[in-house]
Amino acid sequence: MDKEFTPRIAAILCQWCSYTGADLAGTSRLQYPTSIIAMKVMCSSRVDPVLLLKAYLSGSDGVLLGGCHPGDCHYEVGNYHTRRRFAILKAVFDTLGLESARLKLSWISASEGPKFAQVANDYTEEIKKMGENPSKKKMFL
Amino acid sequence: MKAKIGIYVCECGPNIGETIDIPRVLETIPALEGYEDVELVPKSFGLLCSPAGKEYLAKEITDNGFTHLVVAACSPRDHNSTFIGVCKEAGLNPYLYKIINIREHCGWIIHDKEAATDKAIQYIRSGISRVLYQSELFERQLEITPDVLVIGGGIAGMEAALSLASHDRKVYLAEKTGELGGKAARFASLLPRQGRGADVIREKIKAVEENEHIRVHLNTELESSIGFLGNFEVVLAGNGDDEKTDLKVGAIIIATGYRMSDPGSFTGYEYADTDEVYSSLEIERMNGGEGIALRSGAKPASVALIHCVGRQEKGYCSRICCNYMMKIAGYFKKQSGATKVTEFFFDMCLPHKADQEFFDHSVGLGIDFKRVKEIGLSGTSVEFAETGGGKQKMDFDMVVLASAMEPSEDTEALAGLLEIDLDERGFFKEAHQTTDPVATSIDGIFVVGASQGPRGVSDSMLLAQATAGRIRCQLKPGGKIVPEVKVSEIMEAYCTGCRTCLEVCGYGAIYFDDQKGISIVNEAVCRGCGNCFGSCPSGALRTKHFTNKQLYREVTEALK
Repeated sequence: MDKEFTPRIAAILCQWCSYTGADLAGTSRLQYPTSIIAMKVMCSSRVDPVLLLKAYLSGSDGVLLGGCHPGDCHYEVGNYHTRRRFAILKAVFDTLGLESARLKLSWISASEGPKFAQVANDYTEEIKKMGENPSKKKMFL
Repeated sequence: MKAKIGIYVCECGPNIGETIDIPRVLETIPALEGYEDVELVPKSFGLLCSPAGKEYLAKEITDNGFTHLVVAACSPRDHNSTFIGVCKEAGLNPYLYKIINIREHCGWIIHDKEAATDKAIQYIRSGISRVLYQSELFERQLEITPDVLVIGGGIAGMEAALSLASHDRKVYLAEKTGELGGKAARFASLLPRQGRGADVIREKIKAVEENEHIRVHLNTELESSIGFLGNFEVVLAGNGDDEKTDLKVGAIIIATGYRMSDPGSFTGYEYADTDEVYSSLEIERMNGGEGIALRSGAKPASVALIHCVGRQEKGYCSRICCNYMMKIAGYFKKQSGATKVTEFFFDMCLPHKADQEFFDHSVGLGIDFKRVKEIGLSGTSVEFAETGGGKQKMDFDMVVLASAMEPSEDTEALAGLLEIDLDERGFFKEAHQTTDPVATSIDGIFVVGASQGPRGVSDSMLLAQATAGRIRCQLKPGGKIVPEVKVSEIMEAYCTGCRTCLEVCGYGAIYFDDQKGISIVNEAVCRGCGNCFGSCPSGALRTKHFTNKQLYREVTEALK
């Protein structure tokens, strides 16, 4: 490779916990790579597998889904549903021979700015090791 | 009409001005690929959230006739509502605007200004593409009823009713038994230091009965309830007759209290009806009547008071027992100073500021406190081991048990009827234990007193007063409420009637239309989380302002 690979990671975050956690990372001036591209939804449970697939097929090298910690969902139980749906999508990825490690679900509370930065840094490193999203190169399905 | 999008970058003083190359942003935007059919007008301003900034932005919207607006500034948590206000003032539907967070998510997290600028442009491009797919949404104002239904005529319910009743609102107080006052009315002394407990309750009952704004429904239970904050339609039913009362209320307060668990049901405390073993409520009754006596009529010479009965099985401390057991010890001592009183406890719970003093006072009365690590009962013989000690056995004339408080018998049914949650202990679950302790999962339904968890009279009254305050602020006579606009909707043609969405909705906001055979969203109740969307197998759901199209545009453009 001629220059260092900078991944793109779509981070879909619930507005109550994870997005606020990301805000706190910013307010605390914590540094994390530009690879993370955050977008906000009302609740992680709004994110159906198709939206994650859309991000993946749009060339996201990794897709990060952030929600409130189990038991802390602003909508009581949304994230429990998220967790189940996410597990199914992971299983589908594995079945199709896709790299399910390109999907990550993380619970980040509104007060966990450092955790957000940590996840952003670690996940970026992980994806760097995996290299580019293969769907960018060829039709593979 | 050709779309004309205003893109305003806020410098936020040095926060964005110095961390992001704003001139480069402004230069890049008009040249973005794929927006040839759209007029993009990028500008920057010093501090858009300042009075001058807001005025400037409003004028810009009007003068330029923007169809859409993108503001690249701080976190939506800080100033989204500010710019929504500006849009409204300038006559632009605020759902055609989007705030882009280039401060917390760009300028502040990357030292490299060039990289931060690249990322800001990426975000702004994604925002531009999203607003193009956003649609106008319109807020509705709904009339409200300020009247309140209180379920349960114990001390918490009565206090809530009294705190609410005023010339501008009516309170309906439904009590399932034939009299007001609840369990506290049986106590000879209400709190350790208030001698005339029963009198205080009697005064409250009288005040409720005489209040012209409170209508008391005795022998009455809730039969059904539908609606939402400001607009509940409830039916009360008499439990002895067929009388039904239809009411319209704006809020519902649950004050159904607790019940004492049966102490004999816990391991180690199995006792026969003929044993001289009593529950604390039985002692209260005797003390309020002929005096506390054995079955023979004789006064006991020695008494064991056992705290924490069932605490381990239940998994929680009932919080009030330590205090009331000391109160009961006082009854015995008052009856005869010679009575030997021993209190057995696992942990002493003294949560209020005056409790320590009361404990010291009780020690001064000669009451023997024993902290135990295990305890069991055989008739009126108590077998126990003190912390750090071996097994011992003591015989008493009488044993009094403080068993765990548990949810009252109709808690589960009521929760089902109102579609609100119970916690893992079976009590009504508050919206948030620490920060929102009287609200429930449904807006407009509140829970006070011991129906929410073990607590005594003073704490119950406190919650009742707090709830009354909440309701008086939320539901003002003549006021209106604006329900959430970013709600879910079901496209009838696609719905297969599988009812999966009904299962996942935590708010009872979706109902099934039997005639059409499909699910319908009650928009006034929906909170817009989108869980139903995530669950729908036939793609019949749409989450307003978070539609697939909008999110797909946002994500694909951001990844370009």
